[in-house]
Amino acid sequence: MGTLTRDSPWAADAATPSEADPVTGPVLRHVHAVMGTMVSFDVRLGDANPAAAHLALARACARLDRADAVFSTWKPNSPMSLLRRNAIASDEAPAEVAKVLELCDLARELSGGWFDPWRMPGGIDPTGLVKGWAADRALDELRASGVRAAIVSAGGDLATFGGPEPGSPWRIGVRDPRAIDKIACILESPGAVATSGCYERGRHVIDPRTGRTETRCESATVTGPELWLADALATGLLVAGEAGLALIEAVQGYEACVISETGSITMTGSLPITR
Amino acid sequence: MKRMPIVLAATAAGLATVLGFHTQKMNSNVLSGLSGASGAGTTPTSSPSGAGSGTSTTTAAGSSSTPGPTSTSTSTTTAAGTRTALGADVQYRYGELELQVTATGGRITNVQPAIDTAFDPRSSQVNSYAEPLLQSQTLQAQSANINGVSGATFTSQAYVQSLQAALDKLGIK
Repeated sequence: MGTLTRDSPWAADAATPSEADPVTGPVLRHVHAVMGTMVSFDVRLGDANPAAAHLALARACARLDRADAVFSTWKPNSPMSLLRRNAIASDEAPAEVAKVLELCDLARELSGGWFDPWRMPGGIDPTGLVKGWAADRALDELRASGVRAAIVSAGGDLATFGGPEPGSPWRIGVRDPRAIDKIACILESPGAVATSGCYERGRHVIDPRTGRTETRCESATVTGPELWLADALATGLLVAGEAGLALIEAVQGYEACVISETGSITMTGSLPITR
Repeated sequence: MKRMPIVLAATAAGLATVLGFHTQKMNSNVLSGLSGASGAGTTPTSSPSGAGSGTSTTTAAGSSSTPGPTSTSTSTTTAAGTRTALGADVQYRYGELELQVTATGGRITNVQPAIDTAFDPRSSQVNSYAEPLLQSQTLQAQSANINGVSGATFTSQAYVQSLQAALDKLGIK
């Protein structure tokens, strides 16, 4: 999911009121258009104060908007765009730029170079990590508000905590890249599920080793505790294909699977797959 | 962004689906006509037969054939009523999408695009490709008891946004 839409004529957000469910308790749902995609929230309030949860949701959306304003490579005057064309020095950029680039460096190392924002055409491009990182930060706001559980889904990359009911994990379906009316497998979210795939926008991921658009599987999914890394690793794994699984196996807490052109699923040893 | 009124149609249990119309490449005139037709759905609407549901009528650009709902109302109130609701009218990258969701009891029995237009030919392809798939995905997601989908993209997100609004109106989670 490395590539975002340009200049999307998004309509206003659809806010939905809190609702009560006899089993799960009150639920708060919201969709926020940002970063060229739709970020949807599913918040299970539990015993949390509804006003506090709404406030946290607003803060979460503000976090996403801020990340978009700082890191968008489509907005010509965003700090990231200015940095890309050397119009500002890195120490002139907002503080979170240095933080994200530090994470990019770590993700590059952990991915064995298959994810490399420094080897993108047009200059440094952290897009493959930023969306996940921003969703993590949005989830932080919700978690801090005392709600029981939440999902933040940034265009199909999900940051989660808790579960639909106390004691049960969020179940996330991974779309089958060949027949996308189908779910290829179901994963229990350990906190983050990210999928990079060819899906509707075709092949759009650059191989950092060649600078060309190239992928070696149809889709790549990474699970783990945090979405910034799962997102970056999934982007790299789509390029690396099956050969990249061993690298992710070595990252503590992270698991992965790739789906081939023939539809076969190859996965690391402890992928939280379920049926 | 305009929001359509809730359509609550209590129909006989056998008529589990509501007449859906799937239009593509419509110009704005047809579109506004369609919106009006949808708005007329504040009176109970139901399909006289099952034939209307699930069909995809592709309307050529500029065509004035508005596939209005043939409303033979059976406004009897049944306990196990089938209800429909229109989702949010979502403007997205490639056009406009509005879904009509039908539910029997607490379960989704049908999802149809009520408005589906696109600004360019490519988006028509995206739509015609994605929507039937997403419809079954929604139904499958329900049956598989999953809480989210990984690997979606913006077309899906427009769909989810409209769908969610309809589900909220129907009180379905």
